[in-house]
Amino acid sequence: MGKTLFEKIWDAHVVVENESGPSLIYVDRHLVHEVTSPQAFDGLRMNNRTVRRPDLTIATMDHNVPTNDRSLPILDQTSAIQIQTLEKNCKDFGIQLFDMNSPNQGIVHVIGPQLGITLPGSTIVCGDSHTSTHGAFGALAFGIGTSDVEHVLASQTIWLEKPKSFEIRVEGKRKNPQAVTAKDIIMSIIKNIGTAGGTGTVVEYSGEGITDLSMEQRMTICNMSIEGGARAGLVAPDEKTFDYLRNREYTPKNYESLVEYWRENLKTDPDVKFDSDFTIKIDNIAPQVSWGTNPGMTCDVTESIPSPDDYSKGDQNQKKAANKALEYMDLKPGIPITEIKIDRVFIGSCTNARLEDLIDASKVIKGQKVSENVRAMVVPGSQMVKKKAEEIGIDKIFTNANFEWREAGCSMCLGMNPDILSPGERCASTSNRNFEGRQGVGGRTHLVSPVMAAAAALEGHFVDVRKLDLN
Amino acid sequence: MKGNVIKYEMDNIDTDVIIPGQYLKIHDYAELATHAMEGLDSNFHSKVKEGDFILSGRNFGCGSSREHAPIALSHSGIKAVLALSFARIFYRNAVDGAFLLPIEIDENAYQNISEGDEIEIDVSSNEIKNLTKNETYKMKPFSEIIGKIISAGGIFKYKPD
Repeated sequence: MGKTLFEKIWDAHVVVENESGPSLIYVDRHLVHEVTSPQAFDGLRMNNRTVRRPDLTIATMDHNVPTNDRSLPILDQTSAIQIQTLEKNCKDFGIQLFDMNSPNQGIVHVIGPQLGITLPGSTIVCGDSHTSTHGAFGALAFGIGTSDVEHVLASQTIWLEKPKSFEIRVEGKRKNPQAVTAKDIIMSIIKNIGTAGGTGTVVEYSGEGITDLSMEQRMTICNMSIEGGARAGLVAPDEKTFDYLRNREYTPKNYESLVEYWRENLKTDPDVKFDSDFTIKIDNIAPQVSWGTNPGMTCDVTESIPSPDDYSKGDQNQKKAANKALEYMDLKPGIPITEIKIDRVFIGSCTNARLEDLIDASKVIKGQKVSENVRAMVVPGSQMVKKKAEEIGIDKIFTNANFEWREAGCSMCLGMNPDILSPGERCASTSNRNFEGRQGVGGRTHLVSPVMAAAAALEGHFVDVRKLDLN
Repeated sequence: MKGNVIKYEMDNIDTDVIIPGQYLKIHDYAELATHAMEGLDSNFHSKVKEGDFILSGRNFGCGSSREHAPIALSHSGIKAVLALSFARIFYRNAVDGAFLLPIEIDENAYQNISEGDEIEIDVSSNEIKNLTKNETYKMKPFSEIIGKIISAGGIFKYKPD
């Protein structure tokens, strides 16, 4: 029998294979940021260890960097210390760092692909759960904790129990791809499989609904694999993948010969049976809006807030969770999604802050103004995304509409820097998690696509973007 | 291992409520522990005692890869989390640093163990004894390697055979 794409990448990276228990896997790229690395470097120092492959390790600062004026000192002392610590650690251990003043600074999962550091068939780890993003290029990429960061720094390897394989087939064609986006596809998938549906698996996304997507859209899909419980999500690389990575700053010199190899080898064999599978038809899916406090609590923009009974289908814990979520979100069953008023809009994060996301959102708002009851911000995923957006003038579209146009970072996705919601504020957010307090204590998050967030900013409430002219 | 249970009868306790993002800048583990579970239970810090256990439902520890989550619980005194299932990164982080035991339990144990019950966990026999109610439940055995990593005190202390 043949092999899945995941198995092929796994087999190519096994250093020590164990029939039962974890195998030792080689790591091709290790991405490092300021929040999950300090203790790992301390551990190396304490044990007199060096970084095994500084040339395969790349660092940036993204989680708690300020997104306003970078010429000013960082006001939050603990953030400043964490950023200085990363600078020192990279200097001491010889690791390349894209610091706050670098044109390559940005969210680690945005800069990897845009610099050509993310490559098909490679293994990539980072102390961040959204490392799954890089799977869009046919890389086996997953998030790790700080002990594993230390292990990879010291040895360039990681012990890993072989995950199960899970195929998610995305079939059909969206009737209105401007309005129904990759974000809506992945949110629909999570709504169906649940937040633990992919636990212990590596997902391979396949089908026309995936191959139709651009690379940036595929990244949105793979990014949220972790919200469905899977540590990694993969898409088999194709010509779009190879074109995207050609001539980037760090694209390898022997790129064309690599492409030949990838084209031949990086695909799941036809006679393979996955450990599990799920099929979704996307011809008729609607824009999605999350109403609760985990990404599985999501419905169509045309629907109303479900009753906890309808949502839970008899499961007591689910019913309790829905009641708790509605209380936290200050919502009641039966309220149409389009009647939910919002206070804030956040267009940003490793899920949806790439150039295409910003262009899509700018088409919605062109020539219009943000509702006077809403404060809206755009936080580009990287300084390079910001620069390119400014070159084509879409920063002006946002600022003319009264959006704040900010510097690159994780920002209001996780509330580590000053960009947070106040208690009770309700936000249409293009990020990936709507957990309680994620965007600030007492803040209420509705996950949506960039076009949905942009439309909500203008109207002050959610709207079905399929009714807008988005061309 | 003997202690009292703090029960959260719910699924999907995520790492953002176990240790909210704004505290990920704290490097002092004792201070980090004062904010453990703050996103879900503001009384946690005042009620938790050394040697306590947390009991919860499915997909415990979902979300972020922050190792601060098991560290904050561990330095609060929590010796084990008993749950119907775990998110993989949390599970792995808990084992990697031997911060706490992630113990998978069944519905029977989940339903019958109550807040405040005193329980005794015997990893060698894979049994949980409820000393308050005089009941015994099965726990899912740890795979051999995980058991060895935990008894060694984490991945850096564990030496493969």
